[in-house]
Amino acid sequence: MEKILLKNIDKPEAYKLENYVANGGYKSIRKALEMEPDHIIQMVKDSNLRGRGGAGFPAGLKWSFIPKDPTLQKYLCCNADEGEPGTFKDRAIMDKDPHLLLEGMMITCYAIGASIGYVYIRGEFEYGASMLEAAIDEAYEKGFLGKDIFGSDFSLDLYVHRGAGAYICGEETALLESLEGGRGQPRKKPPFPALAGLYAKPTVINNVETLGCIPAILEKGPEWFKAIGPEKSPGTRICGVSGHVKKPGLYELPMGVPLRELIFDHCGGMRGNKPLKAVIPGGVSAPMLVEADIDTPMDFDSMAAKGTMLGSSAVIVMEEGTCMVKVAYITSRFFSHESCGKCTPCREGTSWQTRVLHRIEHGEGRPGDVELLESLCENIFGRTFCPLGDGAVMALRGALKHFKEEFVYHIQHKKCMVDS
Amino acid sequence: MVNIKINGKELKVEAGKLILDAARDEGHDIPTFCYQADLMGIGSCRMCLIEIEGQKKLQPSCITPVMDGMSILTDSPTVVSARSSMLEFLLTDHALDCPVCDKGGECELQDMVYKHGPHTGRHAEPKHRHHGKDYVLSPVIIKNSNRCVQCTKCVRVCSEIVGVGVLGSIGRGIHQEETSFFKTYLDCDHCGNCIEVCPVGCFMRLPYRYTSRSWDLKSADSICTYCATGCRVVIEERDGLLVRSRAQLGVGLNSETLCARGRFGYDIVNSDDRLTTPMVKKYGKLEPATWEEAFGAIRKGFRSSSPARTGGLISPRMTNEEIYLFSKLFKGPLQSNNVDSSMRWSPEAVEGFAAATSMTAGGVSIFDCMDSQSVFVVGTQLSDENPVVDYIVRRISNANGVQVAIASSRGMKLDSCASQTLRHAPATEGDLLGAAALLLADKDAVRFAGNADFNSIKATGIDTLAARSGVSRSEIEALVSSFGSSETVGIIAGTEFLRFPEGSASLALVVEALRGAGKKVTVIPVLDRCNQRGAWEMGAHPGLGTAYSREGVKGLGFAGMMNTASEGKLDSIYIVGENPVVEYGDGNFARDAIGKVGFVVVQDTFMTETAALADVILPGVTFAEKDGTYTNQEGRVQSINRLLPPPGDAKRDLEIISTIYNIFSGTDDVPVKKSAGIFAEIREKVSTYAKVDLSFNNEKNTFNDLDNKESLVGGSSASLSMPQVTGSAASSLASDGHAGFTLVTGNHLYHSGRLSLRSEILGGFIKGAIVEISEEDADRLGITSGEKVTVAGSRYKAELVLKTRKGSASGVAFIAENYNDVPVHKFFRRGESVASVKIARS
Repeated sequence: MEKILLKNIDKPEAYKLENYVANGGYKSIRKALEMEPDHIIQMVKDSNLRGRGGAGFPAGLKWSFIPKDPTLQKYLCCNADEGEPGTFKDRAIMDKDPHLLLEGMMITCYAIGASIGYVYIRGEFEYGASMLEAAIDEAYEKGFLGKDIFGSDFSLDLYVHRGAGAYICGEETALLESLEGGRGQPRKKPPFPALAGLYAKPTVINNVETLGCIPAILEKGPEWFKAIGPEKSPGTRICGVSGHVKKPGLYELPMGVPLRELIFDHCGGMRGNKPLKAVIPGGVSAPMLVEADIDTPMDFDSMAAKGTMLGSSAVIVMEEGTCMVKVAYITSRFFSHESCGKCTPCREGTSWQTRVLHRIEHGEGRPGDVELLESLCENIFGRTFCPLGDGAVMALRGALKHFKEEFVYHIQHKKCMVDS
Repeated sequence: MVNIKINGKELKVEAGKLILDAARDEGHDIPTFCYQADLMGIGSCRMCLIEIEGQKKLQPSCITPVMDGMSILTDSPTVVSARSSMLEFLLTDHALDCPVCDKGGECELQDMVYKHGPHTGRHAEPKHRHHGKDYVLSPVIIKNSNRCVQCTKCVRVCSEIVGVGVLGSIGRGIHQEETSFFKTYLDCDHCGNCIEVCPVGCFMRLPYRYTSRSWDLKSADSICTYCATGCRVVIEERDGLLVRSRAQLGVGLNSETLCARGRFGYDIVNSDDRLTTPMVKKYGKLEPATWEEAFGAIRKGFRSSSPARTGGLISPRMTNEEIYLFSKLFKGPLQSNNVDSSMRWSPEAVEGFAAATSMTAGGVSIFDCMDSQSVFVVGTQLSDENPVVDYIVRRISNANGVQVAIASSRGMKLDSCASQTLRHAPATEGDLLGAAALLLADKDAVRFAGNADFNSIKATGIDTLAARSGVSRSEIEALVSSFGSSETVGIIAGTEFLRFPEGSASLALVVEALRGAGKKVTVIPVLDRCNQRGAWEMGAHPGLGTAYSREGVKGLGFAGMMNTASEGKLDSIYIVGENPVVEYGDGNFARDAIGKVGFVVVQDTFMTETAALADVILPGVTFAEKDGTYTNQEGRVQSINRLLPPPGDAKRDLEIISTIYNIFSGTDDVPVKKSAGIFAEIREKVSTYAKVDLSFNNEKNTFNDLDNKESLVGGSSASLSMPQVTGSAASSLASDGHAGFTLVTGNHLYHSGRLSLRSEILGGFIKGAIVEISEEDADRLGITSGEKVTVAGSRYKAELVLKTRKGSASGVAFIAENYNDVPVHKFFRRGESVASVKIARS
């Protein structure tokens, strides 16, 4: 299969502009600059490209919400705050092939009429940030960025902004708040960023992987793109596989590849050939699936039908013998640690949930704790300001759904079911 | 209008209205923590979640506007359970130390849990604790974050309303704590609004700490008696001591906000230095006496003085009833028009200011003024003198995008929300506005053809006026063009026009020119004594009677009385609540003059330098011990209510003045004990007060509406003339020779006159007298903020602490008029408020 996103990744010094160009890069932007911006938006709409950050919102539709008024300042923000545990896909693009992202951003900016774009990059990605900055410098030198790029009358400035280590800043409005220098907490919607985003101006926020698809769509057309994978969520997907498989890593595959194929064909199967116990299919916010579910195709709609989500397609594979109470505890601890503190149910609820799980995990569980956890889930879910709290609940509900007996055992016997 | 349903009932409501407001208007109870009408909605506490039929998730009603066709449920089982679960969450990390918490009994969390919450707890884990012991954030603020519900109202009020922004949220998740950076002492206004908005016992007032439980307090609705903003307060006492003054959400123009003075200046009432017994001079020495002796001495003392040689001065802090009766006493039985209420300003200055700010046209609401496209603040150090007006301007201008222009010689907090700041030389408001008037009247020369003031500034010319004011012509043009692009203009004009009365004529011309150009102009006078406007309207003015009617014979103003007295020609004087020996421009002159008056009666709450010269001292009471009404700067008449009995043998001021009135009228016409009777007479005799509605004042308003226009005074047909005032300030400076800095004065943020100096709490905010200059000037002199400097003028020299102020004009020095140890008036020539001084490191 032809790769779109990781096509250059193993080529030597792919991060250099000259090599990117030699590998066929910066053609699409030249093509784009000769097109009407609306035509580009229509192409992306036609391609059915869906956002790769997790929610799967159609990218072209998102762009089309941007007002056409040419006097309005508009912005593009690239969400590179890859913080979902298990996810490491965007990082590869930025580390190895930063110009792919830049080209995607240039086309997007041109399409939506933004003269300024920001890459909001996760604070820990120091290397990625330096690669991007170097790539941006190169692009400026070549006249690919700055005034009248590629000799057109379109001017564009791109900046890299490093986050300060908060998971919440991956939420788009918290990202904007942080980018403006404020406290990283989500904003109320409406107004949606497309109308009042960064500095209250129309703003598009797209994930790195989403933007990485744009040059290929421009080059080869929406029909070509739509032909890859299922029609309603086409394209390829970088699956970041971690956990108990033989060959963890990044795999760019067409959408809709079943989990089984990913784990057993591409990743070489389970480590030590142990039986598979559970799989988290899209970052820890996505409820886990069990062995019986692994023939599910990895696309947005099929995963949703299974009660979970494709999310960032960060696949975490767990073998038989993994303690699900510990998994739930560690996941919950992450969410309560990363809760921004703004709304009550997330701030207090995730923290309470973690305290209970901590107790159970450490052999201090009490009768009724499972019911308590279920009740907490109900009280948090759907009542938080942003989806962070929902993520915490979904993760825990997934574990409780499939492995409730492990929790009960833990509470009754003060130890792990799986270790005994 | 849109059609919605709330709990099944079909309604038509305004489009864009919040679901919360729509539901509350219908009487549905939706609890909230983070919502406050005046603050930016954040929708974070999730208490107000409601169900919208057809939507999967519950929605926060405090940030969700109604949409056509919405069917809203505020009490569905899901909503009820969500509410209770939020409270359960809030209680998980709440300290639950209600028995020792100051907020116990008036805590919103307590009330809500009682009403909506789970009555048993399931959280059995160790709680997160932010810190151990409570910590102090300011002389008046103590903090216990373990009780916090994270509504962040404190942070928002601090930045959005007060504009100091010293509070912020630190940390994330359960570690989030609303405090100052590094939890250090706050460099703030000490206004305590963070305490007031706090729904729980997280921000607490330090002076009130552990003094009472809320249910042991007795309270009365009152008005803050410092500046003339007219903020409504509730004063509360326990065991005879006033222990708290607070504002109420949705009550009065201030709603829940107050400044430091209003919230913490109440303790003057409890002072041990209060006068508690009448005193009469016997054999040259003041001795405690009975009221009979005191009234007897007054009967004798005033009888023997001729009307033209009798004078009265009453403080603009007294109530309308007291001032009305005081003026009536002089202008009636004592047959003298020598009555004044403005010791610091001349009667002409008062008349000019009242004319320029259209006071005769009746009361004008600050909210109407702010309902303008551009607002011009001039002649006032608004952020320091009338802090709550500063809050209102900041809040409304930020919310509605009002263009604010500020002309001042000193920087102020409000500058941060101004689109234009003009920095003029001190005392040149007249020149600045004169130039603006000339620019405005450019197209309307016919209107001003016969206007003497206009012709006089025209003869001077724009460039000369601009040069005098130190503001460039282009800046003045920018100001005028911002007026030009607005259909409605609000002007907030302050006491500098009283200090430098030559400015009033220009102000009047600007207003006239704007009106001539078809603009709606709303002028609000801002004053620094709570009942200054009321005092003028009650006729405590030598040339004007009630409601600005002109007196047939012009009496002596206070300066005139002092001049007469110094010549030994004043037989008697009755001074109520004022201390001219320290507050009159030239204290020594006043002391000598009063010393030469045959018979001096001083009625006050404290022993003052002036009282020490009296033949009879009458102990009056403070606002907490009497009833009455005050008219604020807008013309809003509001009542105060007694909470405490007079201390010792002191009597209510109205009772004292009524008794004296009855003595000289020879009748028992005036009821001695009741203020309501006098107000009824005011309604009858003062036409502008006839329709004033007092009943509204103590009622809680509907949400988002703080404006009771029914309590504004009406307009009168009186016409005031613009008195000719010869320029005094410029000549004073010229005779001083320029020595580096021009010294001006006004009120300090924490003080209002000298009365507030009696407050121990307010006294704790500043240590010693301060001289303020701009940051740039301090750099130039090589002096840093906090150093001791000597300020030397040609008449007086003093040592003070230097503070820098951001945004002040170069060459301007400021010393507040509130310090006992450095009486700023000593720098000035008598009757003036500007002087040249040198500043050097001591």
